[in-house]
Amino acid sequence: MNHWPFVIAAYVLTLGATGVLTLASLRAMRRDEGRAEALRRP
Amino acid sequence: MRAKNQRMTLVLLGMGAMLIAALLAMWGLRDRAALFLSPGDLRTRSVPAGQAVRIGGMVRPGSLVRAPDGVSLSFVVGDDTPRTVPVSFRGVPPDLFREGSGVIAEGSFAPDGRFVAAELLAKHDENYKPPDKVAAAHRTETLR
Amino acid sequence: MHALANPARFLSFARPLTPWLGWGGAALLGASLFGGLFLSPRDYLQGETVRIMYVHVPTAWLGMGGWAALAAASASHLVWRHTLAGIAARAIAVPGAVMTALALATGAIWGRPTWGTWWEWDGRLTSMLLLFFLYCGYLALNAAERERGGEAKLSAIFGLVGAVNLPVIHFSVIWWNTLHQPPSLTTEGSAIDASIAWPLLGSTIGFTLLFAAIVLMRMRAILGQARFAARLRRAAA
Repeated sequence: MNHWPFVIAAYVLTLGATGVLTLASLRAMRRDEGRAEALRRP
Repeated sequence: MRAKNQRMTLVLLGMGAMLIAALLAMWGLRDRAALFLSPGDLRTRSVPAGQAVRIGGMVRPGSLVRAPDGVSLSFVVGDDTPRTVPVSFRGVPPDLFREGSGVIAEGSFAPDGRFVAAELLAKHDENYKPPDKVAAAHRTETLR
Repeated sequence: MHALANPARFLSFARPLTPWLGWGGAALLGASLFGGLFLSPRDYLQGETVRIMYVHVPTAWLGMGGWAALAAASASHLVWRHTLAGIAARAIAVPGAVMTALALATGAIWGRPTWGTWWEWDGRLTSMLLLFFLYCGYLALNAAERERGGEAKLSAIFGLVGAVNLPVIHFSVIWWNTLHQPPSLTTEGSAIDASIAWPLLGSTIGFTLLFAAIVLMRMRAILGQARFAARLRRAAA
């Protein structure tokens, strides 16, 4: 049995999910901090 | 005692009690949570012929015999007790199935005491080595 | 530690720390996974599938470590009533659940060529699946509690109760006959050859740093939401 397809599947899955999680968290942080900043009193 | 010290004591006591309860529950589960019976377990537990069960242990070195038909094989499973179980299997075993290595067999006992496996799973051990550092033949020391 | 409970002080160090952890973790992770895929040797028995370990072990460790941190934050939330601790617990839940799911998935992908099965209901696999369901339960309970505007006390208690599963996961392979192998790294030493172990060490640290950055980002998002709501109320008043 060739093992590389299993290895590649595991890496693609892990890096894909970690990447999506990181970018989603980053975007949420920028959005929520930005909205709060926009309401700041001068 | 101040309120936060009270809460701290409560949390610690609660955690301790839950931990003890969980450990007791796991101790009670230890037989039923086992995935397989080892040959040593079979000394104290008799399994009637025909009943579906999983047994596991080491494939005894030198015991593996492949039949001329190419799909039947038989071997002997042992553990650190003197007891062994002869197993026969028809089919393709997993890549990591080999002598001196762990195996889990799903199937049932035939009336003559031989274990007829419908499925074989290879058990991997905790050792990781590159090919050029393996001096002797493969041998798993631990059953678990 | 109590000084950190102040959100303003927390932000003053979380803001500069986030990019350092994120980029540092990503760089270390990239280098280690490259090493794990192309530089380290294959295993004498498993062959190339040993490389799955470099993503499986860190995700499993973070799934479990995530709940340990969630439980610690829950305890501090309950004992000292630190709002920030409740926010930390809530910020850990989603990344922890993702890591646990990845550990289960990569384990199944490794199990198929190695054991000969994707899944078996053995002690280790079952208790790890339970951890994933605990994360889901925490998220549902926490969302329901926040909707009612409470302090999320029940989810904090749930976080503590769920921590009981962590020793069960760890000792499952020692207590019971399981398909999963026992730990390779123990206090008595390593059963993993150094040439195979170094990418594992690097990817574990890299994943951990990245996980910390993700948690900080999520905490900052929650604090931003709270500030936004407070300013909106003040503007309306």
